[in-house]
Amino acid sequence: MRMDGPCGRMLRDFFQPESVAVIGASSKPGKVGYAIMSNLVLGAEGQLGGGFRGRVYPVNPSGGEIFRHRTFPSITQIPDRIDLAVIAVPASGVLGVLDECASKGVKAVVMISSGFSESGEEGKAREKQVVEKARAHGMRILGPNCLGVINTSNRLNTTFAKKAPPRGPISFVSQSGAICTSVIEYSSEEYMGFANFVSIGNKCDLDDADIIEYYAEDPETKCISIYMESAKGGRRFYESLKKVVTRKPVVILKAGRTAIGAKAASSHTGALAGSDIAYNAAILEAGAIRARTMLELFDFSRALAYQPPVMGDGIAILSNAGGPAVIAADVAYDLGLPLSHLSDDTLGKIDCVCPPTWNHGNPVDVIGDSDLARYSAVLDILIKAPEVHGIITIVGPQAVMDLGEVARAIVEMSHTTGKPFCASLVGVVSRASENYLDEHGIPEMEVPERPVRAMKALYHRGLYLRRRGMK
Amino acid sequence: MNGREAGGIAGAIGAARAEGRTVLDLWEARSVVSAMGVPMDRAVLASSRGEAVRAASGLGFPVVMKIVSADVVHKTEVGGVRMNLSGDNAVGEAFDSMMASVRQKLPRARIRGVLIEEMVRGTELIIGSSCDPQFGHMLMFGMGGVFVEIYKDVSFRLVPIATYDALEMIEEIKGKAILDGARGYPKADRGDIVRVLLAVSDGLQRHPQIKELDINPLMATEKGVIAVDARVIIGESGEGCPV
Repeated sequence: MRMDGPCGRMLRDFFQPESVAVIGASSKPGKVGYAIMSNLVLGAEGQLGGGFRGRVYPVNPSGGEIFRHRTFPSITQIPDRIDLAVIAVPASGVLGVLDECASKGVKAVVMISSGFSESGEEGKAREKQVVEKARAHGMRILGPNCLGVINTSNRLNTTFAKKAPPRGPISFVSQSGAICTSVIEYSSEEYMGFANFVSIGNKCDLDDADIIEYYAEDPETKCISIYMESAKGGRRFYESLKKVVTRKPVVILKAGRTAIGAKAASSHTGALAGSDIAYNAAILEAGAIRARTMLELFDFSRALAYQPPVMGDGIAILSNAGGPAVIAADVAYDLGLPLSHLSDDTLGKIDCVCPPTWNHGNPVDVIGDSDLARYSAVLDILIKAPEVHGIITIVGPQAVMDLGEVARAIVEMSHTTGKPFCASLVGVVSRASENYLDEHGIPEMEVPERPVRAMKALYHRGLYLRRRGMK
Repeated sequence: MNGREAGGIAGAIGAARAEGRTVLDLWEARSVVSAMGVPMDRAVLASSRGEAVRAASGLGFPVVMKIVSADVVHKTEVGGVRMNLSGDNAVGEAFDSMMASVRQKLPRARIRGVLIEEMVRGTELIIGSSCDPQFGHMLMFGMGGVFVEIYKDVSFRLVPIATYDALEMIEEIKGKAILDGARGYPKADRGDIVRVLLAVSDGLQRHPQIKELDINPLMATEKGVIAVDARVIIGESGEGCPV
């Protein structure tokens, strides 16, 4: 069913095609055209349920079969409508292939091939010709010099990455292919699920603005994450970002913050990075959240995708461990994340369930000998306290509290409230308990400063919504 | 003639363009900022010693004297700023020595006269704008003096801004406690600063010919915020800031 307008339809074809042709498909392991076919037909490592749900057609003049799919010498000879063409031939052959795609009536092209504006004058000229041809035929192009698209719901995977990320609510767009593959590796380690994944390459046609506008409409996407070194049109990106942020939270890792980084970025992508001051102003003003490191990009995205925003001024830190709670409080102060001033009512209630030596403040240190009953009783008090708008639960390993049980209690109690949770089981103490929290949507990180940063992202999103009267 | 300059933004830009200049002189720059709706200190343009003296006594002592010339980029370095002048003689002598100093240091500078300004005391703030080739006009806010020069304690937004952007620009400044009256500084009304930021944002949006604009300092005083100095640079004819 295709009901959207012409532009919407074309972007849809990049994510939800019914048929895909792989031009430059190969039967030789080790070739890019082999890896793409393998990911499409068999599914990448970690891709549950196997390959792409639609129809796949390999194109290669040498004929034969690839993964039991008959190979066609040219896209024009495929006896089916083609929604998406994936081009993985050497740069010198790309223009000819584009002509064939045009005569086949293809409107969406993922151009994996490299050797364009990222590689000197000749490549730049070639890319210009690609764009002219695409415009003339009404085709949209993703790339060149990219990995293309992963959609975890229909298992479309045009990349030659080894693994695919788990399914989930984050949609990602990256200017760097290497960042994409690293994120995939990391996502299977930490629990971080993706709806869509785009490696955008040289952005000769489709750019970040197009992709995030599609993500804004995509019902599976709850949080949009961007890795970028430069926007194609700064102002256009800003306007589009501003619009998208009204619908969904957006996290941006804009690299090239420093003069040295910017120089590295411009030699990396062939694009001149604009002034970082202007990018920063654009990100702030649009209401997006800037991550400065890959870890922040991951942590912010996880929090925003799985947890609600902080809708008030004050969060509580609950801990059975003194040191990690102090670190968390310091980081909250540094970041300007306000801690709740606990009311006499709340303090009195905690007095009833804690030994008199507890610290009578926030962070709430329920002391190292706390058992599960005390920890959950205080958590319940904090959940119900009107001055608390978000909770960071920190648990240091000790002998009187079973980590699996406390993880289950946190998850269960988190369902009794609309307030956001972030957690740290300090140290890598129990994979099973950590995964239990993550799988139930509570981002867990192994050092206490990380959930504080993640909570700051949720606070930022809440502030954005409150200031604009959106909640 | 007092603080309200006539001619407006188009007039000032037109005058500079007619002479092939991209730099507006102080009088023109003031008229641009004033026409945007930014409150300015009282000032009079004087082109002779006699006019300067009359202007000063009209405003009331003490006064400030500044050179008005589009060819003078850094007024202080050529002896083009004199502060705290009291009495006819002090103003008269300052006029003569300023003319001599500027003529000696920049013999070819076209001098339009001097500006006689009331002395305004308060907390120095700065509002500035530059043009980014990718994003267009950017608006900057910060505390003036050492805060901007040494600590770079400033915040930026893209033009146009909304009220909450202006509030956030103030919030992002580390020295914002000073605006609340810390260490005996006069308290500054945030609403006044917000109004100025919005006015400048609006003015820049309407006039893409402006490439750079500085209000430095914008004085936060007990009686509100007042622009005390202005600098405006426009693009070559037909060239402006991308919108």
